[in-house]
Amino acid sequence: MARSTSQDVVTSQDETGGVGMAQRGLAAVVAGLVVAGIGGLSLAAVAGAGLASASAADDRVTLTVGLIQDLDTPNVTAGFLVSSYELWNLQYAALTDKAAADFATVPGLAESWEVGDGGLSYTYTLREDLAWSDGEPLTADDVAFTINTSRDQEWINHFSSTANLEATVIDDRTVKITSAVPDPKLPLMDVYILPEHIWGPVAEGDITTYEALDGVGSGPFTLQEWKSGQSWTMVANPNYYKGTPAIDQVVFRVFTNGDAMVAALQQGEIDAAHSVPSSSFESLGTTEGIEAVFGQQGGFTELAMNGMAGGLGDGHPALQDVEVRHAIHRAIDKQALFDRVILGLGTPGVTLSVSPDPAWKPVIPEAEQYTYDPDAANAALDAAGYLDTDGNGIREMPDGSQELTFRYAERSESDIAAPIRELITGFLEEVGIATTVDVFDDTQLTEVVASGEYDLFVWGWTPFTDPDSMLSYFTCAQLTTDVEAIGYNDANWCSPEYDELYAQQNQELDRATRVDLVHQMLRLFYDESTYVVLFEDADLQAYRTDRFTGWTRQPAEIGPVIFSNSSPTYFLLQPIEGGTGDDDGGMGTGVLIALIGGGVAILGVGASLLLRSKKNQDERD
Amino acid sequence: MTAVSRNEVFRRFRRDRLAMFGLVVLVLFALMAILAPLLVDDDGLSAVASLDNPTWARPSGDFLLGTDHLGRSVAAQFVYGSRVSLFVGLMATIFTIAIGSIVGVVAGFAGRWVDAALMRLTDWFLVIPFLPLAIVLAAVLGRGIWNIIFVISITSWPSTARLVRAQVLTVKERLYVDRARALGASQLHVVRRHVLPNVAPLILASATLAVPISILTETTLAFLGLGDPTQASWGKTLEEAFQAGAISRSAWWYYLPAGLGIVAVVLAFTLFGRALEEILDPRLRER
Repeated sequence: MARSTSQDVVTSQDETGGVGMAQRGLAAVVAGLVVAGIGGLSLAAVAGAGLASASAADDRVTLTVGLIQDLDTPNVTAGFLVSSYELWNLQYAALTDKAAADFATVPGLAESWEVGDGGLSYTYTLREDLAWSDGEPLTADDVAFTINTSRDQEWINHFSSTANLEATVIDDRTVKITSAVPDPKLPLMDVYILPEHIWGPVAEGDITTYEALDGVGSGPFTLQEWKSGQSWTMVANPNYYKGTPAIDQVVFRVFTNGDAMVAALQQGEIDAAHSVPSSSFESLGTTEGIEAVFGQQGGFTELAMNGMAGGLGDGHPALQDVEVRHAIHRAIDKQALFDRVILGLGTPGVTLSVSPDPAWKPVIPEAEQYTYDPDAANAALDAAGYLDTDGNGIREMPDGSQELTFRYAERSESDIAAPIRELITGFLEEVGIATTVDVFDDTQLTEVVASGEYDLFVWGWTPFTDPDSMLSYFTCAQLTTDVEAIGYNDANWCSPEYDELYAQQNQELDRATRVDLVHQMLRLFYDESTYVVLFEDADLQAYRTDRFTGWTRQPAEIGPVIFSNSSPTYFLLQPIEGGTGDDDGGMGTGVLIALIGGGVAILGVGASLLLRSKKNQDERD
Repeated sequence: MTAVSRNEVFRRFRRDRLAMFGLVVLVLFALMAILAPLLVDDDGLSAVASLDNPTWARPSGDFLLGTDHLGRSVAAQFVYGSRVSLFVGLMATIFTIAIGSIVGVVAGFAGRWVDAALMRLTDWFLVIPFLPLAIVLAAVLGRGIWNIIFVISITSWPSTARLVRAQVLTVKERLYVDRARALGASQLHVVRRHVLPNVAPLILASATLAVPISILTETTLAFLGLGDPTQASWGKTLEEAFQAGAISRSAWWYYLPAGLGIVAVVLAFTLFGRALEEILDPRLRER
């Protein structure tokens, strides 16, 4: 959880993109790492297995999507990774849906709604004859169950939407939702409605550990099988309210390496790829039969510092000094990161991006920005008393108690984490700040961050359309004070002023006033600099044009086609007659094996020599 | 065995062309590692210092082995990488041999239940699949050079222990050991004056052959992303090249030097070690 709640996707550019919620980037890789390990042979094996399952699907129409991040869990009350949001987007419909083109609120499970109580309540009328994928009827009871239970039990991905809501069943098809405070997000009811007959019996204490492999949903596709670290398969839901999808099943195949995924796409083993490496993106764009998608939905990557503002942890005392945070901000050449790491595919970062809609973004005059200026950073640190008195190139605290050596937590599940770390640690060195690097997979890093045992880390978020959730993460209420209940505030920073503004915008129905409040919050957050937003990275995706039509960008023109806010593409895709994309020539696997061949050959040479000498030793025994 | 004089060893060794070749290669790599700061500019390792360099530059006059995805000099990474690879290889071998020898000597010499207990422990380590254990340990301990050395040592000592124990068992039964005992020599004295000198050449040969295993293991772990991310090593170069897409980009200059470096060093150590082993172990020589 560390990042994201009900609706903001966190992403780690590299691997995830954003569905409608916050998730952190790549969870899966550790398992993947181990698999890839072993000489990468198993990598090829995994690829082979995926292939087999895709092509063995006889005459069923299968869409195969490649990605780098596995699910963290199919359980919507516990997961937070982008890949999991994609699963839920497909499996669970909401009362209202978001238009593909512009996120406008359109009917979902509810066909209509009426406002009441001066905007504090909405009465939603469900469509007729709604049913879950297992045939059980979907009624207002399910809606009320989801909203009320998620509020009472504070489900991680629902709570930011349902915290102030109360749902009352009027009849089977009518539910009245009342908000305790004015809620600018209504009538948008973008919460995943869960089947009460499945989730109701799960005890409160077990809710986050429930496996959630039931695959009962109301969206276009439902989970059939999850092979951790390899793939998950979703099958068409015949009871979907818009009709049965044209595709029979969607297979999400997890790759451990972006290059291997691109090779698989080129070979037609997969139909689409999410989180294409920057280095391959340009060449994919010029490949015939492949469309490269530069999808923007507001995702960004940040360097976070541990502000130690009340959460758990043992962050470095220097980082509680805003002067030091400013100096770090100034020490980092964002343009260099932008050019070298994401190859200019995105936008250099300024402040938090809280929505794909640029209207929420404040304009910060260049003169008031903490632009790259290592000399100014050095001077500021000198002036603040952080001097290098022992001449080892590393500054000490003003009282000389401790050097400015920061623990830098790096994600293992990201192909841009290493280049970012190389550059950032280099920039910090220039201003007399040393770093020690530890590498974690996303699940570990979530715990490390939650327990505050870090000084710096780099990760990313993808915001939801409404800025509220992204903004809520930095309130005092989201500080983690108990590792059993991880909050979103991963910068371990908060301020009463920010909280006050947050509360105001949360209930402000006038859009212009709300925009202004949000701008104030973002300015404040920028000036506090517990986050240095490195760049806004695009979702780099690619798909084959020879098997399916109907790829839909969300939002129109600029958004991604998959892993978008509500992922409309999957239902809209139509197979092309006689499409050839699903050939299983095995070439891709061959390429993988070749990739690994070098390493294996080296190991082989060594091994054979060693075996020979071992044999001799045995004889001697 | 071991009844070979020092001069004799030297003479035989010089006659073995492959072994001499291995030795020369090793000396060259050792010189490269030691003289690294004189050979290349360590700015080439820094992404920040390389910001003005072109990325993915082919080998040229400016960059002997080209540049990588961050504009860093591949030549600098290769030269400095040899330091970590050789250092880890040698240190891990020292610990491996130390643990293995102590366990072997104690087990072989003490006998009875001590022997049984130590050998069961050794068996236990022997049957654990090596790479998964190393990966798990490296993941748990965190990424750092000394952790890698620890991981390699803790997973590699059993074969040395078995080897040494076997040798100790034969030495122990020799007549002169009995005589020494009869004359009142203490256990320690026997171990020091009779057993160790007799086992030493074997340990030496075993050590020489353990180095390449250690280097390969370090490379493997680094390639899997379990190495120290802040230290240039050949394994890390391979990992970064792989992650950065050097292979699909055909940027051979990025990954080939490190790969060939590993092959050369491992081959050299193996040639050298095998020659040493054959010379020091008469039974092998007579084949």
